[in-house]
Amino acid sequence: MHRRTFLALGAVVPLAACGVNQNPLQGGQSSAAPGTLTVGSANFTESQVIAELYAGALAAKGVQVTVKHGIGSREVYLRALQDGSIQIAPEYTGNLLQYLDAKNPASSPTDIVQALKGVLPQGLTVLDPSQATDQDVYCVTQAYATEHKLSQLGDLAPIASTAVLGGPAELKDRPYGPPGLASIYQVTFKEFASYDSPAVKLKDLTDNKIQVATFFTTDAAIGDNGLVQLADPHQMILPQQVIPLVRQEVTARAGAAEAIDAVQKALTTEELTALNKRVDIDHASAKDAAAQYLKSKGLA
Amino acid sequence: MSPFGFLADPANWQGPDGILQRLLEHLVYSGLSLLLAMVVAIPVGIWIGHTRRGQAVISLVVNAARAIPTLGLLVLVVLLLGTGLMPVVLALAILAIPPILNGTVTGFNTADPDAVYAARAVGMTGGQVIGKVELPLAMPLIISGLRSATLQVVATATIAAMAAAGGLGRFVIDGQKRRDGYPEMLAGALLVAVLAIVLDLLWGLIGWASRRRTHQTA
Amino acid sequence: MDFTWIGNNLADIGANLGLHVILSVAPVLIALVISLPVGYLLHRTGRTANVWVALIGLLYAVPSVALFVAMPLLLGTQILDPINIVIALSAYGVALLVRSVVDGFRRVEESVRLSADAMGYGSVRRVLTVELPLAMPVVFSGLRVVTVSTISMVSVGAVIGNGALGQYFDLGFRQNFLTPVIVGIILIMALALLADGLILLTQRVTLPWYGLRTRQARSRGPRPTEVIV
Repeated sequence: MHRRTFLALGAVVPLAACGVNQNPLQGGQSSAAPGTLTVGSANFTESQVIAELYAGALAAKGVQVTVKHGIGSREVYLRALQDGSIQIAPEYTGNLLQYLDAKNPASSPTDIVQALKGVLPQGLTVLDPSQATDQDVYCVTQAYATEHKLSQLGDLAPIASTAVLGGPAELKDRPYGPPGLASIYQVTFKEFASYDSPAVKLKDLTDNKIQVATFFTTDAAIGDNGLVQLADPHQMILPQQVIPLVRQEVTARAGAAEAIDAVQKALTTEELTALNKRVDIDHASAKDAAAQYLKSKGLA
Repeated sequence: MSPFGFLADPANWQGPDGILQRLLEHLVYSGLSLLLAMVVAIPVGIWIGHTRRGQAVISLVVNAARAIPTLGLLVLVVLLLGTGLMPVVLALAILAIPPILNGTVTGFNTADPDAVYAARAVGMTGGQVIGKVELPLAMPLIISGLRSATLQVVATATIAAMAAAGGLGRFVIDGQKRRDGYPEMLAGALLVAVLAIVLDLLWGLIGWASRRRTHQTA
Repeated sequence: MDFTWIGNNLADIGANLGLHVILSVAPVLIALVISLPVGYLLHRTGRTANVWVALIGLLYAVPSVALFVAMPLLLGTQILDPINIVIALSAYGVALLVRSVVDGFRRVEESVRLSADAMGYGSVRRVLTVELPLAMPVVFSGLRVVTVSTISMVSVGAVIGNGALGQYFDLGFRQNFLTPVIVGIILIMALALLADGLILLTQRVTLPWYGLRTRQARSRGPRPTEVIV
């Protein structure tokens, strides 16, 4: 009998016991109580702030709600939405469309929202977009921009082979990441460096360990460090309005969509930038920053 | 879904973020930090073991070191010193010092006192006692300390990827974030495990050889 | 150190501390419950036990991140499921404790066993009331190593989105903010040393006869393997 116990244990050792045809990244069931909505967030500050804004507004309207932060990249939290582990996630119009349908020609904000509705996976829908926008943007230091006369992405082409690009791991495969840079701007970097920490990425950029990095336009770091944002004349990076991606059943919940819409209507890009700064620089929790904002707007 | 698909694709082995490069980085992190830890821990261990001073401090340090969360240490070091080779090597070396120190001190402690007395009796100097008697007798336990330290360092070097470093951990960390990245993640885990087992067996072999040698000379 | 941050986040820190305790105590208990019978049975196999103990020892060569990542595939669980961490850490615990249990039982001298037989003890009673208590000092020393390293390893779970106090390492790292990192390190080390002290205390209370010789015996005994993280 002990023999068998040990054979079972032994099976743990070879990680190679891997013929199994399943993807564990494909979430599971929500652990929250039935009837409770779970707002999920991605692994960056703004997503967590917006998730708290939605959750706070929902709670104020008497909807039972919990928050699950830092689920991961879009690759991971979309699956969590699809399998019902979460019901609501903050999203961005352009990136979401590009993710779901890389070849879609839509480029104006309204076209993007329209197109998005046509390509969403079964069971998911989007509510109204906000006027608040947050785009990915390629940045360089002022010194580097001056030295190489950089103002737009195409200017990188002659020097990219000597430069390192830094960004989150998922950027590497994204259409507006290295693949898009290569095909649209003929820019191919010497190397791509993954950063889990935006703060460390910023430090390495200012220390010239990397020369180009992606940021969010609502990131206080850009202004605080005098970074130069490289223009994107070919619109490789689509317009990004904040938009809630939800499971269909959320729209059926009394008061739920209205509560989220109220946040969507109130939020501006400047306010979003300020909220991010509260968390990233002042180290407030996303929850506290969101609660303060909702109170100031009379939404909670 | 299998990691073997990832491993079987030759494209994944080449380039600045290929398996070979990551493996090399992993070995460089591990090797340099082990060297650094040895340079610090073995002389200190010899001094403590030979003079029998500060033994209580050692057991305290070794015990407390086991409680250090490795991820926390790495993040702390990178936030304080920045990214790059040296911060990672420093953090890993800090983790490798206690087992090597422990092995060295224990090795000296278990060296047969009669042999040490005999060496003194025939007029050996302190240095000769260390070099010709205590150190050879302690060698198997020093090696076992190095073996533990190697496991610790190779394993922790994986987490270094989280701290913006290279190494095989990159596959584990990045795979989790990318579309269909699970095979990459598993392949990374598998590579680290195989590397650790191979190095462990290597130390086992060296330890066996040194025990044989000790028994012959002793 | 930003004490305002600590003050503002006390409730959250407390919750994560509690979670950390659960995520570390569970695997240690599971490992202990499995290792005692398994270790005893292995010990009964005599020299064969060495092979098994060495084989399980290979598990240490698998780093915890790697094992955490592999768990969903082996168990069919979700990647964010805390069960992954508990089971993986239990496996490490078993691998270490089985060795301690085998070593512990080996220390029981044959004469003691024969005396118990001669006094008419049945085999179950002999194992539970004579052999086990005599084996416990070595088991306790293994248990201390397992507990301390488990508490520190739980935080590695932050790499796959589940690290209890370990998530403060992630937070501090993302914001280049030392306070949460230091809070995490201090709490985890304090927790580990507290747990270590508690086990030592339990040992003193349950094995009062095992007093002065403890230190000697431990320094002579087999060193528990260092656990990797």
